[in-house]
Amino acid sequence: MDSDFLSLIEESKGLNSDVFSLIRLQLLANLAVTGPDGATYRELKAWLELSDGALYSNLGVLKKMGYVKSEEVKIGDKSLTSYQLTREGMGEWHKVNNWLRQFLECGGRK
Amino acid sequence: MNTDKVIACLKEMGFKPKISKFDDKIVIQKLVYLLQLKGIKLGFDYGLYVRGPYSPGLTKEIYLKKGDFEQLRTKEKLSPKEAEAVQETKAIFGEKPALLEVAATYAYFAYEQKRDAISAYKAVKRLKPFFSAVQIAIGVNKAKELLYRPTQEELEMLRKELAPWQAAAEEDMRFLK
Repeated sequence: MDSDFLSLIEESKGLNSDVFSLIRLQLLANLAVTGPDGATYRELKAWLELSDGALYSNLGVLKKMGYVKSEEVKIGDKSLTSYQLTREGMGEWHKVNNWLRQFLECGGRK
Repeated sequence: MNTDKVIACLKEMGFKPKISKFDDKIVIQKLVYLLQLKGIKLGFDYGLYVRGPYSPGLTKEIYLKKGDFEQLRTKEKLSPKEAEAVQETKAIFGEKPALLEVAATYAYFAYEQKRDAISAYKAVKRLKPFFSAVQIAIGVNKAKELLYRPTQEELEMLRKELAPWQAAAEEDMRFLK
């Protein structure tokens, strides 16, 4: 148990701690599922029930870190912004996801 | 996963997608979902995600076999029953992404999660608030039109209601002989 936890702590040094906020983790997890299709701003806002301010600023942080990119897409006659994970974003999400799984397993043992 | 059969369905519909178009990928995702609920075995797993009912496996196939999708290249042939289901779906929805999106989302709650109609409707409104009330109402009605199957109870009620008419028709037939 102790050695497991120590290796987890060691591994955590390779993670970007700036993604460890609930909203950013939710954004990464959701955009990882849709891959190259991404999701539109309006879909993310409705799904995560976020205010414009919270969604926009967190997407901005992820974009600045190079984990998310955006593009204009057409749906019917509407022009919308769609967000996708970059290769780096997908890589970071996999790292964080694996680490969180191990973390939960470690904490769950009696 | 039977990607060839998905392409055969699109071919039957006469829908030639352009994979770079966001709209066209919505149409494929939601059509496949509804066709599977309609009973066509295409083998794609769907979950409820930010895009509504969505299959990451199908997305991978679409990008991997982009040329086949765009050229509608397939060796698969649909059975007459499958072709009929595709034609019915086409007649109800056409290739309208908004309607398909609402209908597929409603279908997920009503037919997959088996929620009652009101709860399913509310869930669609919660996830797709950017669609107008009219778009949601039309999409929900079209999902019902495509997927509604009467229960045994409803069939029995219908049978009882129509029994006198049936008896009269049989009597007429005897008289005509």
